[in-house]
Amino acid sequence: MAMAAVVFLFVLMGFLPTCPAAERSTAPLSHEEQIRLGERIYREGILPSGEAVQAVVKGDITVPGTSFTCVSCHLRSGLGSSEGGVVTPPTNGAILFKPYNSSYKDVTNDKRYLPSIGQRVAYTDQTLARAIQAGVNPSGLTMNPVMPRYLLDDKDMALLITYLKSLSVDFSPGVSEREINFATVITDDVPPEEYEAMLLPLQRYVNLKNGSINLYRNQKRSERMAASMLVSSELMYKKMTLARWMLKGPAETWRKQLEEYYRTQPVFALLGGISHGDWKPIHDFSEAHHLPCLFPQTEYPVISETDWYTLYLSKGYYQEGEGAARFLNNSDETAPGGKVLQIVRASRESQALAKGFEETWRELGHDAAVTISLQPGEKLLEDTLHNALKTEKPAAILIWDESGAVPVLDLLSSDALRPARVLVSGSQQAQHFGAIPEKVRAFTYITYPYRLPQDDAIYNIYIAPYKKNPTTAGAYDLNLKSSFITTQILTSALMDMRGNYYRDNFFDVIGMMPDQRYPLYERVSFGPGQRYASKGCYIVQLGSGDKPELIKKSDWVIH
Amino acid sequence: MLKMMTAVLRFLSIMVLCLFFTGTAFAAKSEYRRTIEHYAVPDVVLVNQDGHKVHLKTYLQSNNPVVVEFIFGTCTTICPILSAGYANLQQKLGADVRNVKLVSISIDPEHDTPNVMKEYLKKYRAKPGWDFLTGSRSDIDKVMYAFNAYIPNKMSHFPLTLFRSPSDGSWIRIFGLMSSSEFLNEFHKVAKK
Ligand code: HEC
Repeated sequence: MAMAAVVFLFVLMGFLPTCPAAERSTAPLSHEEQIRLGERIYREGILPSGEAVQAVVKGDITVPGTSFTCVSCHLRSGLGSSEGGVVTPPTNGAILFKPYNSSYKDVTNDKRYLPSIGQRVAYTDQTLARAIQAGVNPSGLTMNPVMPRYLLDDKDMALLITYLKSLSVDFSPGVSEREINFATVITDDVPPEEYEAMLLPLQRYVNLKNGSINLYRNQKRSERMAASMLVSSELMYKKMTLARWMLKGPAETWRKQLEEYYRTQPVFALLGGISHGDWKPIHDFSEAHHLPCLFPQTEYPVISETDWYTLYLSKGYYQEGEGAARFLNNSDETAPGGKVLQIVRASRESQALAKGFEETWRELGHDAAVTISLQPGEKLLEDTLHNALKTEKPAAILIWDESGAVPVLDLLSSDALRPARVLVSGSQQAQHFGAIPEKVRAFTYITYPYRLPQDDAIYNIYIAPYKKNPTTAGAYDLNLKSSFITTQILTSALMDMRGNYYRDNFFDVIGMMPDQRYPLYERVSFGPGQRYASKGCYIVQLGSGDKPELIKKSDWVIH
Repeated sequence: MLKMMTAVLRFLSIMVLCLFFTGTAFAAKSEYRRTIEHYAVPDVVLVNQDGHKVHLKTYLQSNNPVVVEFIFGTCTTICPILSAGYANLQQKLGADVRNVKLVSISIDPEHDTPNVMKEYLKKYRAKPGWDFLTGSRSDIDKVMYAFNAYIPNKMSHFPLTLFRSPSDGSWIRIFGLMSSSEFLNEFHKVAKK
């Protein structure tokens, strides 16, 4: 019945599902242009005409293809996905045009839920067009109705097929039969002890992995055991390398240095990495080469909803500003219409905090905050502050100042016009929590983008191996824990790629990972296109004493 | 050597752990399971795509039919199909679109901010009457528990559609993916009741 409706639709549209796709010439378009247009159909569901593709799902739901893009189920690499038991098979060039026999090793569930294409002969242009239009595979089987039927004319179909032929055909650079190469980017504003701390867990991981290769060679029993345990047994003998790409000098020169490293030894992906500067030049380099970068340690990630190739642990300082905005949005004094006064030191970090606040505040529908900007070294005068309180009557104050918020908090404690809430950044004040006077603690709120120390202590076992090392014994927990997270996600990703060494597949499989609880962040989570793993930021207040306890005043994620 | 061996085993066990990440099974074929249920909706405050607060309990107590589904913004396979069902119903209802409340509740509340939800609805050309709700993790958990839909891991999420009858507050629970005629059919049963 549903099928009949689809056939009827096709007839109505004046073409039958069997029409050959690639016959009409697309000659005037270059191959690159065809691929670009095909990619647009695949990723955005938009035809060269600018119209949305039409599709039919579940037999009779007609939908614009913009909400049913190929990429949403088959993912960017084309290698497919598995969600809630629905397995979407690969649709990339390397697999479509060969006979296919999927074993679905990891899906131990009821066979009914697997794709109907467990086994099929190789596709040709014609049978592929038929699959996409009518949901019939080359062995004549009708596919599961979850796979939409697309109403594409010959010309558009030919573009899509040209694209599928080019999609994930050859492995990405940086992988060979014997090796998989990674690099980590380090800029020269980071002290050696600190970047060594970032490197320690990564290097230990690489050593372990490579050490196991010798073990397998010498001990056949371990080899057999590993082979039966690992989904991706070709990984067993692959050696992992980790190059250090050290960048020197001003940020404007980094790109050139990166290109040179990349030319000498292209790598499969960048792991970790560290800079105290803006990550943007490295981010842009990753975008340009479609080179994934997993969890660089930076306070200045690029904030973008569309860029693809850098996966950050969080939004850095920006995220604290965002947390402050969401917290104030929820408090009675500031919503709606209450004014906010921001006191911002003119420095990169304070401005990143201010930006996170301002953009989120606007998004939440509030008027812009009133900002007092302080030059480096400049002191805020009592009069200036008092006058601002008098004229603006702010419902809340934010102080973003890496040189310490205490002087302003002090002034505020004795000003009768002070609002109920003053927010400061936990990252900026963490060194001096004890120095924040008790008399201001009742009205001081702190953004804290990590799990609280008292709750994170149980996770310290993960960095215990590095606590014997004199440099990292009493410091650099943040770097060690961040790199620990990197190794965990890397392990899962390498396994989940199942030997399909395409860079897009690397981030695709990470996008399909369940939420995780690791050290440092209350929760890290993923999803196709999600690029900031930690989404949270607590708002806390201080207990009493010179080692004050942090007291939660909000959820991890505030809406 | 022994040390090496334990280290390698640890590495391996991490790897093997990953084997269990894959989701639980659910039928993608057109059969679905239908039951009639009674639920006690928890008294929680969620947030919609416009950033407005929604008292779930009163919000769902409507004199019109209500449909509830659990989705998330970056979901791949299942949610597009569930949401296409909503979009289709709204289209079919035409001017009557205001007489039904379509509710999508996020199971990835940390990522699904009002902005993300607004964009999602735009993609499906949602009309007024279709709300996407997010909230604190603990409130969302309460809602999932109340509807016997607890999904600890969003990647092993299953397709569920719940229709609330305005006449007696009972719910039709559909476990599985429906075609649009099946969806409309179930909807009309509830609306007529
Ligand atoms: C809603 C999810 C979804 C979307 C969107 C989707 N597919 Fe599929 N696709 C599937 C599923 C599920 C299957 C497996 C169906 C079966 O075999 O029973 C499949 C199967 C296929 C196959 C057959 C693979 C084989 O080995 O036989 C091809 C080819 C394919 N899809 C291409 C596409 C293209 C091209 C697009 C976009 C124009 C697309 N799909 C959009 C879910 C989807």
